[in-house]
Amino acid sequence: MEILVGSLVAGLLIGMLFALIALGLTIIFGMMDIVNFAHGEFLMLGMYTALLTSQASGLDPLLMIPVAGAVGYALGVACYYGFVKFLLRGPMVAQLLGTFGLMLFLRNLALLLFGSEDRTIHSGVLVNRAFDLGMGVVVPATKLAGAVMAVISFAAVWLLMHRTRTGKAMVATALNRQGARYMGISTERMNGLAWGIGAATVTIAGALLVNFWSVTPYVGLLFTMIAFAIVALGGFGSVPGAFFAGLIVGLITEIPGFWDFFTYLTGSSWMAGISMTPFKYTWVYLAYFLIMLIRPRGLFGWKN
Amino acid sequence: MMKTRSVLWAVCLALAVIAVFRTACPAAETIKIGVIYPLTGGAAAEGRELRAGAELAARIANDVMPGIDMDMARRGGITSLGGAKIELIFKDHEGNPTLGADLAKQLILDNKVVGILGCYHSSVTKTVSAVCEQYGIPMINDSSTSPALTQRDFKWFWRTTPHDVTFTRDLFELLKGLTEGKVKGVPAVPGDQIKKLVSACEKTEWGSQVSETIEGFAKQYGFIVQKSMLYAAKSADLSSEVRSLQAVKPDAMLFASYASDAILMVKTLKAQKACAKIIWGQNAGFEAPEFRSTLGDDVVGILTRTVFAPRVAAVKKVSGQVNELYKKEIGHDLSGASARAFTGLQTWVEILEKAGSTKPEDIQKTANSISIPGEQLIVPWRGIKFAAAGADRGQNELGSGIIGQYQKDKDGNIVLEIIYPFDVSTANMIYPFKAF
Repeated sequence: MEILVGSLVAGLLIGMLFALIALGLTIIFGMMDIVNFAHGEFLMLGMYTALLTSQASGLDPLLMIPVAGAVGYALGVACYYGFVKFLLRGPMVAQLLGTFGLMLFLRNLALLLFGSEDRTIHSGVLVNRAFDLGMGVVVPATKLAGAVMAVISFAAVWLLMHRTRTGKAMVATALNRQGARYMGISTERMNGLAWGIGAATVTIAGALLVNFWSVTPYVGLLFTMIAFAIVALGGFGSVPGAFFAGLIVGLITEIPGFWDFFTYLTGSSWMAGISMTPFKYTWVYLAYFLIMLIRPRGLFGWKN
Repeated sequence: MMKTRSVLWAVCLALAVIAVFRTACPAAETIKIGVIYPLTGGAAAEGRELRAGAELAARIANDVMPGIDMDMARRGGITSLGGAKIELIFKDHEGNPTLGADLAKQLILDNKVVGILGCYHSSVTKTVSAVCEQYGIPMINDSSTSPALTQRDFKWFWRTTPHDVTFTRDLFELLKGLTEGKVKGVPAVPGDQIKKLVSACEKTEWGSQVSETIEGFAKQYGFIVQKSMLYAAKSADLSSEVRSLQAVKPDAMLFASYASDAILMVKTLKAQKACAKIIWGQNAGFEAPEFRSTLGDDVVGILTRTVFAPRVAAVKKVSGQVNELYKKEIGHDLSGASARAFTGLQTWVEILEKAGSTKPEDIQKTANSISIPGEQLIVPWRGIKFAAAGADRGQNELGSGIIGQYQKDKDGNIVLEIIYPFDVSTANMIYPFKAF
């Protein structure tokens, strides 16, 4: 039973962080129908920001979350006004290739600046600590903190978008750009804001992730793929969709644990002979593929 | 005016004499060897170690260094080729087999290398050696340990390092030795207390082969592998893997991991308070410098197989001499990776010296008959002699491994003590592994 509970808890915890990673991608897509291939590189920069500022200041890496968020916001806004704004005038293929180029640029810039080796946080209040939840379930403190912060970030973004004038203006822009413009909303500013918030949420996710995962300039790729799967599953542009899809994807990555549980429950020898771990992410990409095939707008996606 | 003209004539004459002299006595040729390592990407730290090891060997081969007790250090170049110097051309495969094959073609066709050294990742060595075989260019593999690499009957491929069959056999000899009371500082452990094994290996060529080898030896030695899994080295999270391993309450946990996943694995083991009496790593990530520096005291008690530990220097003079030189330049001791790269290039130098030619056929013939005695090597092997035929063609028959355990010395520094072979062990083994 402890395998089942452990897998459920682990899946939900990592799922919340996955959801936060995907949040920025869905906001940007929802606002301007642009797929940001450089999303994982923003995450990587968030990880480096938290790691390097924590090392330089000697402060706890968790205290670097606002710094990472601020750097992410500035980067997102700069990317929009310096680059994406011009891409939007071009055809869809130019937008795709443009953000793909941004991804390559950021990755290689990180290689130049930080080198290629893995870097890890060595110290921190929560680093190397764990909570025993009973039933043999031990939760690393850094993952728990990551999940809690992810929920807080989601709540903050949801409140911003549904309880503030600026947020409502963003939603209006996403729903009907021309209509919003007629109502006096500066859609250009809303786009810049979306890029800022989108980049800030993913750099915050990076600052949380770096507490238990080492960073290299290549780390973004895996998470970009996972974020795409989450956004497709939850629905392009849907904030609640990203949250629930994140949890689902987190649980999908725990399939090996569930498989083990049923193996021991049934005592099945054929199940014991099959290892699920090599396919851990295969199921995520399979889910992505099936959702695109069966319900392209995802679980919570807008119809139009 | 006359004086100026005389000076000009004298300068022209001097230049002409120099030109004629240079034509009459051509400079010694350089011999280009292509070296393909992972210089960026997840294994960049190991790549840097490998590169530093190969570079040091090239420097010792090219210059006369009388302070080092090996033939290569006394010659100052390849004497049978008129004192030709070794020139290394490094390429970065980033852990990518396809890129590795492209780089091999580039080195052969564009750089006109005499041969190739590399490539660390067994999966890359596999594709690079296939290119060398296709073009008839000799390749020496210094650091890949998948047994399958020397079981392909390739005619242009030689491997200096022992492979994972040797290393894994060492592990099972150690486990058997534990039950027989052969391990220094540990009374005989009842067999049933150390019977249940689990293994988790990264899922490329190397890890898959290690996993199979462990299962094979476990049957042969009477142990039970209760869980044997492959995992993606680039996983974001290894908690489900660790939970799965823990579920069977194993006596020993065995791993084959590269650096970042080895670190994540140990961190996850600690976070989930995993416990086993033995934690053993198949070198690679478990011996990378960052493994020790990142995990600090958490590595104490973990075992890793290797081919070199600084402790070897205490009993082997030439190892100590080269290690001192390396430490002076790089700032830390030779590792298993750098020692193997050094030995790989040293083998290239000895083959070229004996062949007295850079023709592939001559190198092939010499490699098949070369015999380098153990006293010339910095690694604790009996020497280098390649199997010229048979199931393991091209494999060095005289290589051997050691198993080290991270322990704290009296000054509080973490060092790798030799635990196996039993007759050269340098410390009592910490058994069982302390809980995290």
